[in-house]
Amino acid sequence: MSTKYAKSLMLDKFTPSFSDLVRRIQQSLVMVKNGHQGAGAGVVWGESLILTNNHVAMDDRLQVILPNGHEVKAIVLARDPEIDLALLSAEVNGIPPLPFADSRRVRSGEIVLAFGHPLGQRNVVTMGVVSSMDTVQTNGNRKSISIIRSDVVLLPGNSGGPLVNAAGEVVGINTLVVGGDQGYAIPAHLADGFVNGQRAFRNGDSRKTGVPNPDLI
Amino acid sequence: MSNDNNPLVVLSNAMADAVERAGSATVMVNARRRMPASGVLYAPSLVLTADHVVETDDEIKVGLPNGEEVSATLAGRDPGSDLALLRLASSVSETATPVTGETRVGQLALALGRPSSSGIQASLGIVSAIGSAVRVIREGGPEHAGHPWGRHRHKGKTSQVAEQFIRTDAIPYPGFSGGPLIDANGHIIGLNTSGLVRGMSLAIPVARAWQIAASLDQHGSVKRGYLGIRSQPVPLTADLQSALGREQATGLLLIWVEEGSPAAKGGLLVGDTLVGLAGDPVSDPEELQISLSGDVVGQPTEIEVLRGGKPATVTVTIGERN
Repeated sequence: MSTKYAKSLMLDKFTPSFSDLVRRIQQSLVMVKNGHQGAGAGVVWGESLILTNNHVAMDDRLQVILPNGHEVKAIVLARDPEIDLALLSAEVNGIPPLPFADSRRVRSGEIVLAFGHPLGQRNVVTMGVVSSMDTVQTNGNRKSISIIRSDVVLLPGNSGGPLVNAAGEVVGINTLVVGGDQGYAIPAHLADGFVNGQRAFRNGDSRKTGVPNPDLI
Repeated sequence: MSNDNNPLVVLSNAMADAVERAGSATVMVNARRRMPASGVLYAPSLVLTADHVVETDDEIKVGLPNGEEVSATLAGRDPGSDLALLRLASSVSETATPVTGETRVGQLALALGRPSSSGIQASLGIVSAIGSAVRVIREGGPEHAGHPWGRHRHKGKTSQVAEQFIRTDAIPYPGFSGGPLIDANGHIIGLNTSGLVRGMSLAIPVARAWQIAASLDQHGSVKRGYLGIRSQPVPLTADLQSALGREQATGLLLIWVEEGSPAAKGGLLVGDTLVGLAGDPVSDPEELQISLSGDVVGQPTEIEVLRGGKPATVTVTIGERN
């Protein structure tokens, strides 16, 4: 039947769009080792900057394995345990930072892909959809934060890796690996606010770190 | 590649659109002590949900997609198919759109739920299997029926009606029971249930669910017919099919007729091959079960059999299964 043929042709077009996206993300995906057991993932977020989970960056001095397999040293620039993020500095020159999406506009049912190193296996991609945007209580100043829940399969080792939308933009950092079929990610807009706060701090702005308010007035 | 012609982005947006569309007819059902479950707007003032999530008959609350909370009463329940129908105190404008075409193994399917007031929830999968290879035993664990219903004895428990099912690999999150399983257009292909068989993601096909909803709306219950036979599916040879005057691969060979039963009174005999009921072809036990429910119960009904290789019609007054 002609309609069936048309459908299979359409499915053919998905393969290159998937593989392009995967290649692009994996160029900026690193592995973060803390000297203890296990390792997490991290993403290049800017020049010499890597974003990962705070619980992955257990020590102040870490090893980062780059996409080309080279291992470089990294130090922790800042931590925000409330949103489980840590910003690292490492020699990652030449590795392009990943673009990120406005994660406040994430919709239930949209496609997301998770990148990481589950159980130590390098560069694993899993796919699913955004289940919902939830709010969780925290112990910190924010009292509560929004979080992206997805049905993407995540395992230990996915922590700190990016959750990416169909356009190849980071919508979140995979954080709470409940195991199996429930994953939580810190929305990219929170991550960006954290990073910008650190940039402002490093550029001589004396305001408190971690506050997403980069404009000097 | 721009996002407009990136097939992955197009698909992603289409899926989010489908969730939004079907989500506007997916409600929260608050009728048990534990967390709320989900339901679909079958009609402007009727919500179809899973029977097992309706633990109370009064003080049922339904949370609409716009956040409004409406009281509801129980219009009827059918534990056999794990469906219950709720009547809303006020009407809404949105209703669910059932799929019209065929549901196929391998097609995309999204399971939806609204167990909280924080918005619609979704998970993605494909249709893994269609059929009714699952038998549900009252007062016992689920049993995978390697053979269709009625074909072999089982351990003394009463078998509940084996409904048709759609099985998916979409994750049924807590509170998804009673929510819709939808296709890429946002049309409902089934109703999620996990009450019948734990640990498996099952949905009742929408055509069947809508049929049961109509019966619950009218009568408050679903009548299930009783014949009093045991049968075994048998292939129909080309000669038998031409005698029948239609293409039908299998029929049901009667291997036992209960004394005094509706089947016996109507004149069905061991050795007859049942091939149709009330004008519908019957080729397997599931089809027989489905044709035996609803309006035919208590009615003299024409049953089409092959007797001695020749078509014959027997009129049986269908009994009611307790």
